[in-house]
Amino acid sequence: MFGTLLNLQLKQARRSPAYQKSLVVNIILGFFIIYFALLFLSLGFFGHKILSEIYPDQSPLVSFNSFLLIYFLIDLVSRFMLQDLPVLAIQPYLHLPVKRNKLVHFVLLRSIPSVFNLLMLLVFVPFMFRAVVPEHGTGIALVWLTSLLLLTFINNFILIYFKRQLTSNPKLTLLLALAVGGLMLLDYLHVLSLRQFSVAAFGALLQQPWLVVVPLLGLIGVYLLNYRFLMQHLYPEEIYVKKVSAVEGNDMAFLNRFGDTGKLIALELKLIWRHKRPKSMVMISAFLLFYGLIFYTNKVYLEGWGMLIFVGIFVTGSPMFNYGQFVPAWQSAHYDALLTRPITTYQYVKAKYLMFIPSILLVTVLTLPYALFGSKVLLINLASCLFNMGVNSIVVLYFAALNKDRLDLSNGSAFNWQGVGASKFVMMLPMILGPVALFLPFSFMDIPQWGIFAIALAGALGLIFHRQLLQLMAKRLEERKYTLAAGFRQH
Amino acid sequence: MIEVKDLVKAYSDTTVVNIPSLHIAAGETIGLVGNNGAGKTTLFRMLLDLVRPTKGAVTSKGIAVAHSDAWKHYTGSHLDESFLIDYLTPEEYFKFIGDLHGLSTGDIQERLQPFTDLFNGEILQQRKYIRDFSKGNQKKVGIAAAALSHPELLILDEPFANLDPSSQIRLKNLLRSLHEQYGMTMLISSHDLNHVTEVCKRIVILEKGQIVQDMQTTENTLQALEAYFTV
Repeated sequence: MFGTLLNLQLKQARRSPAYQKSLVVNIILGFFIIYFALLFLSLGFFGHKILSEIYPDQSPLVSFNSFLLIYFLIDLVSRFMLQDLPVLAIQPYLHLPVKRNKLVHFVLLRSIPSVFNLLMLLVFVPFMFRAVVPEHGTGIALVWLTSLLLLTFINNFILIYFKRQLTSNPKLTLLLALAVGGLMLLDYLHVLSLRQFSVAAFGALLQQPWLVVVPLLGLIGVYLLNYRFLMQHLYPEEIYVKKVSAVEGNDMAFLNRFGDTGKLIALELKLIWRHKRPKSMVMISAFLLFYGLIFYTNKVYLEGWGMLIFVGIFVTGSPMFNYGQFVPAWQSAHYDALLTRPITTYQYVKAKYLMFIPSILLVTVLTLPYALFGSKVLLINLASCLFNMGVNSIVVLYFAALNKDRLDLSNGSAFNWQGVGASKFVMMLPMILGPVALFLPFSFMDIPQWGIFAIALAGALGLIFHRQLLQLMAKRLEERKYTLAAGFRQH
Repeated sequence: MIEVKDLVKAYSDTTVVNIPSLHIAAGETIGLVGNNGAGKTTLFRMLLDLVRPTKGAVTSKGIAVAHSDAWKHYTGSHLDESFLIDYLTPEEYFKFIGDLHGLSTGDIQERLQPFTDLFNGEILQQRKYIRDFSKGNQKKVGIAAAALSHPELLILDEPFANLDPSSQIRLKNLLRSLHEQYGMTMLISSHDLNHVTEVCKRIVILEKGQIVQDMQTTENTLQALEAYFTV
């Protein structure tokens, strides 16, 4: 029975439209996977060196252990945001003569082989060989690794249990994140030492390996908790976390001033707010604001120009890139409605444009504090802002006409590759490389400031001629509308 | 009102619609019947410029629909769920459509008044998004939105499908009164021969993309249709 179920699941995955992507996307995806895998592996291999450099007065294993508790807490919070429940997969079998307990065991065990549970092994295993085995021997090292795995699985099942109980309430997730953040702050202020506690706990494990039964019992406990809950609630309407709550319609009256274009913007804002995928995309964009910190804190990047231009374009344009890459596929479910109503394509395109511009301005204002890293950063970011508004907004709309895959909005956007095509990667190239190409000749002439000015000028020109450019984009979209509409009708 | 000339839609080598000529005069009510795959929906989509014809053209009031947006102002349509903006509440949706046609909130309320029976208290003030309604109720929202602007031309695909018997009868009466009051030209496809003959004064049978019969409705039409579809 388990074999049959597993086989069907594999078929489902293999035959899903998301899996049958083009070769290019698969290659790029494969590249990303290998890149991150190597990143984590090297973190594991060189972790003990890094740790003994940062904390020279204690063994790297102790340092590593001290962060484990915090790691597992963060892991739990991020699971609440990212991980989804596989429970609905058993719905088609509920009316068939299959034992209920088998179905429940299946759905629970199926949740174990997932990226969330196995990714950190890439760090843990090499670190074990490099730092734990030499200090404590293979046997104890394996016990140490086992207990880490067990804790990961405990997190997995805690998530499944609570996410179903609380439904996916974003406020509770935020509360949990704040609680963990608070604990970390207390640790940082030496009020309450999470790290000491962590060292004590995992140190004890290394001294007395039989303590591995503690996480084991914990795992059995949460597993049984889930099992009992699911056995008692094996009805689609009870395990399905969808909750229809009363909603209030609203009008967004302030947008009425912009006429029909304003109405389209209001419509789109509601679209973002009322679907999971665009909403989580907004969240991701918020996180990307901090992307600059990776580069600005590094002297090597801060002295050059090229990387800073890349960061500037990326940071000030991140909401536009994130959202714009799927225009007009966001509206794939009701594209026919837009085409048969008295809305001109120009109005439609202009509504998108008028969403991009404020988003870029807002992000630019929010990232103004980066000026603390120097006036050069500020200059580059302001030029990038202009370039994004004038040029890249049009480029996004240009590539929009290639988005003919229907987009499923009900799933979150993290790790969601549904509707991602090769054009998404192609469109990033001119947007990032364009400004760098503009900059290079001036850089060779040793007047980099003029290069930044050229980027800003290109953006300003784009803004001045935005009406003509938008008309061109509208024409392009108009020509492609039958292809798009036909693509969106394919489920 | 609508003029179809040499209209052909072919996908690779199968022809799904092939209509040499179809004339729809203003004020006519036309029922389009035919089995699955007869090309009804494709024809509708070409009338609404959602599918590019392989050959030929559709003109509305003398202007090709593919070349102008003018028809959108006097044409209301509901083919399927993709005509609904399903993350809005019905009220928001009606407001959005009403705004596009320059209707005030009062106008919208007044125009929804005749739909009260059809809505049966299950559509308005439900504090739900359209996507959370049942298929039948979604259809009611779509039909009401299509008729909201009192369009000169109303195109509905399978309006009776998914509706309960009472709603079907109410919708039938509603469509008839809309036609009488505003002289709307109607183009309705249906699998329900009974309803469609009661609402429409002209019946067009489509088979494998071609018009095989085009007749005015008389008291014998229903029998003729039943005879035609009995195989």
